[in-house]
Amino acid sequence: MTRDEICSRILAIFSEKFEIDNPGLDDDLREEHEFDSIDAIELLREIEVMLDSQLTQEEKKSAMTIRTINDIVAYVIDMAAVRA
Amino acid sequence: MSHSESTRAAAFQSGRAWWTKAVDLTATVLLWAYFTLGFAVFFGPFYLVAAVFAPDRRRAFQWLNHLFYRGFFLLCRLMMPRQHWCIDPSVRNLRSSVIVCNHVSYIDSILLVSLFARHTTIVKNRLFRFPFLNWVMMGAGYLPSASEGRMAALMVERLESLPAFLSGGGNLIVFPEGTRSRTGAIGPLNSGAFKIAKMGRAPLAVCRVRNTDRLFRPGRFLFNTCQANRITVDLLACWTPDYNSEQFSLKKVIERVRMLLEEDSGKKKV
Repeated sequence: MTRDEICSRILAIFSEKFEIDNPGLDDDLREEHEFDSIDAIELLREIEVMLDSQLTQEEKKSAMTIRTINDIVAYVIDMAAVRA
Repeated sequence: MSHSESTRAAAFQSGRAWWTKAVDLTATVLLWAYFTLGFAVFFGPFYLVAAVFAPDRRRAFQWLNHLFYRGFFLLCRLMMPRQHWCIDPSVRNLRSSVIVCNHVSYIDSILLVSLFARHTTIVKNRLFRFPFLNWVMMGAGYLPSASEGRMAALMVERLESLPAFLSGGGNLIVFPEGTRSRTGAIGPLNSGAFKIAKMGRAPLAVCRVRNTDRLFRPGRFLFNTCQANRITVDLLACWTPDYNSEQFSLKKVIERVRMLLEEDSGKKKV
């Protein structure tokens, strides 16, 4: 998957699952969209579906510091690279 | 009223105030003794046994917490005959639910814990810093309120296990205002509880607690035991939102809960 494809998929998840439509790619999701750790858990499940692979506890823990859509895209790319 | 009568009335009022304070102080000291010595002597050994031998340590700790706080409120009933406790039986019967409740006093959380043998709750991170309390809350599987720093891994693990806990009959107790209301008016509701309910496809139970703040006033050390008071816990609504519907909206669910709590409080939102 390309970066753009990942980005559009993440944005679709945000709209469907979290009722957050078209957030800015560098918006602080916590501050501006009330995206919290519970959402992060649900997002991680969706990322596991995208990657077709389970994330480890350590990988999930590192995702708790993610703040922006760009951070999420970078995280997915990193996780995909580890599994390639 | 003559001068001597008003002097006598003032003396009577003063004596009554002194007596009331003495009763409040005695009850408060006894309750604190239960919290500290009572815990160490009567409950501590059971917690140790549960920590070592219980096949399901979390469940055992939750049950012990429940018993400990039941004991606390039993003491309250015995020592404070002017406090009347009216717990809606349908609240006690709740299972597998995310219970959201208004918050007016520190004793709200322990009152709800005393009602459910299988429960968990969300606790402010700072409370996890107290050594012994930390051990008890960790053992019972309580969740930290924030997910940063050393709490991140714990939060992930606890949140992931919640859907199974709920479907297995446990209740999650949450005060979505996050802090006590000083006026009785309903504050802004955090969305966390509702997101967890959605994640676990769990029923939402909306409860209303009243007058615990008259017994234990915010900012006061002493329990206010002598004033006649009626403490109630009512179930305002319990339903399972249609989480799979395309029309499902978390914001609408939160708004409905807010309306229920506000209608019942009779006070406008803050």
